[in-house]
Amino acid sequence: MRNTYLWFIQLITGALIAVLAGIHTVWMHLDAILGFFGVDLKDVTGWHSMIERSREVMWAGIYIALLAVVLYHALNGLRNIILELTPSARTERIVTWSIIVFGIMAFIWSVYVPISLLST
Amino acid sequence: MRQVQPRQNNLGIGGWIWAGNYKLERYLYILHRVTGLGILLFLLIHLTMTTVFRIQGQETWEATMSILHNPWFKFGEYLVVVALIYHALNGLRLILQELGFLMGKPTPPIYPYRDSLRKKRRWTMAMIGIIIILCLVFFYDFISGGW
Repeated sequence: MRNTYLWFIQLITGALIAVLAGIHTVWMHLDAILGFFGVDLKDVTGWHSMIERSREVMWAGIYIALLAVVLYHALNGLRNIILELTPSARTERIVTWSIIVFGIMAFIWSVYVPISLLST
Repeated sequence: MRQVQPRQNNLGIGGWIWAGNYKLERYLYILHRVTGLGILLFLLIHLTMTTVFRIQGQETWEATMSILHNPWFKFGEYLVVVALIYHALNGLRLILQELGFLMGKPTPPIYPYRDSLRKKRRWTMAMIGIIIILCLVFFYDFISGGW
């Protein structure tokens, strides 16, 4: 039953990523086409532009939400692929806990940076 | 009594790549897995770049960006965008089909067999069409932004 819930969350996070990563990708890469529609992003990867976005709570919120769903979706997907190799119960526990610990550490570190940049 | 031995999966990881006589959807699944692993690798690099290098200040950030504006990195970035587009749209198709949408009605298994996915193949073809259009739109933008 637990795996059913994990899989259901995998579907929900997948749909959320399609929306959030869609916004992120269009904003970061479609500058010429957005410019055609009158949206001037200037130098989107430049330091000043990046710091300006980092000070906005909305962008920090989008990045943190995206980070949470992406980390779950990616690491649970990786776990599913590894478990397809049908390891022993002990190896399965080691894989699961390694992935959980890595995910929590990556989340804490990656959330610390945008929060600390909010006040720059 | 003669015991029937189960057929061993001798293909191993090779079986992830070679789908034999299975149809289009099986190959889309393989590509979904490959793009997923590729995006995971990119995610780790991207997270390192946007945290470790960002927090060190303007000089480090600008030095990193100047490296990433190299044409080879730009090309790699385009491949990541293509993988993202494919993984997102194929993933949405999989979610809809898992929930029972875009599937044909079940019919008795009378030769020639037609599985439920192939009865609604036009939705899969439409998805492939949208993927190609989006890849071309992003390609135009990458080209016009200068390599």
